[in-house]
Amino acid sequence: MTNPATANRRHFEDLAVGEVIQLGHTTVSREMIIDFAQEFDPFPFHLDEDAARASLLGGLASSGWQTGGLSLRMLVDSFLSGVASAGGLGFTDLKWKNPVMVGDTIGGTVTIAGLRRSASQPQWGIVTLDFDVRNQHGKQVLTMRLANLVECREGAAA
Amino acid sequence: MTRWFEDIVIDEVFELGEHTFTEDEIIRFARLYDPQYFHIDPELAPHSHFGGIIASGWHTVSVGHRKMVDALFAEEQRLRELGKEPGVSGPSPGVNSMEFKVPVRPGDTVSYRLVVTGKRPSNSIPGWGLLFNRITAVNQRGELVYRAELVGFSKLRDYRMPLKLRVLLALTKVPVIGSRLRRPT
Repeated sequence: MTNPATANRRHFEDLAVGEVIQLGHTTVSREMIIDFAQEFDPFPFHLDEDAARASLLGGLASSGWQTGGLSLRMLVDSFLSGVASAGGLGFTDLKWKNPVMVGDTIGGTVTIAGLRRSASQPQWGIVTLDFDVRNQHGKQVLTMRLANLVECREGAAA
Repeated sequence: MTRWFEDIVIDEVFELGEHTFTEDEIIRFARLYDPQYFHIDPELAPHSHFGGIIASGWHTVSVGHRKMVDALFAEEQRLRELGKEPGVSGPSPGVNSMEFKVPVRPGDTVSYRLVVTGKRPSNSIPGWGLLFNRITAVNQRGELVYRAELVGFSKLRDYRMPLKLRVLLALTKVPVIGSRLRRPT
């Protein structure tokens, strides 16, 4: 059974451990930070310059969930949109290493750290992806290991 | 929660409230942060094994975070009304694990609950403590949507800075010397 939405994309069999995905870049504006914070993370240190300076962050910085969301967006654009992705399973060891401040440009790499076939669902494989996201100074801002389901080309029929 | 580190009770449960996800907001979030076809495209999404549009896991988690922040503000308010001084929450250093279980579909109502699972003083940031929190999210049928093991910061009430650190902090406020002591950001 072929999924017409993903038929022309890379499948599980086409992926290799060690492949390094270049994420491209995203510049984080004050408007983006405040828009996200108002909806999802309205701590004063994500909304207000003075409160942010007085906090552990030292200045207006994006919500960690926004930094993660923007990292995910870069992964979708540079990788997942060309892969027969069947959704995320979760992640481990998400670390917000340094805050992302107004005007910072983030980018980095994601490396395929593991590939295994699902034991219970032969039509799927699981790819584990290690994020290394940095700012324009090369300083790490986020790391995590994401597990994502990918459709297999062979398997569903087997 | 917004309490002094010393006042945080292990195993205490906080009901964070619920949220009903509309298709519009699912698509709006995913267009910005997770534009995969089963999150944004009502025409193609039925071809996926989900059978239709589902919310990005990052979206359901971000809403859960908002619910936690609201609960922190409510706790702060409650303590003030009791005439107590609330504590100070800091930014989170990370998430130990996140498991997405059942997908969230348009119209689903997700309830969020937080349990404090542990705490210890921070080794790297003097005067702050680390909190370990578990958030579970369930849908209107009681199915587990996600389970997260989170880490947060809370300020110590009774912290007294060691003399060496107090001298160093005072020096950072002296011009010339201070700018050399402060780490570049």
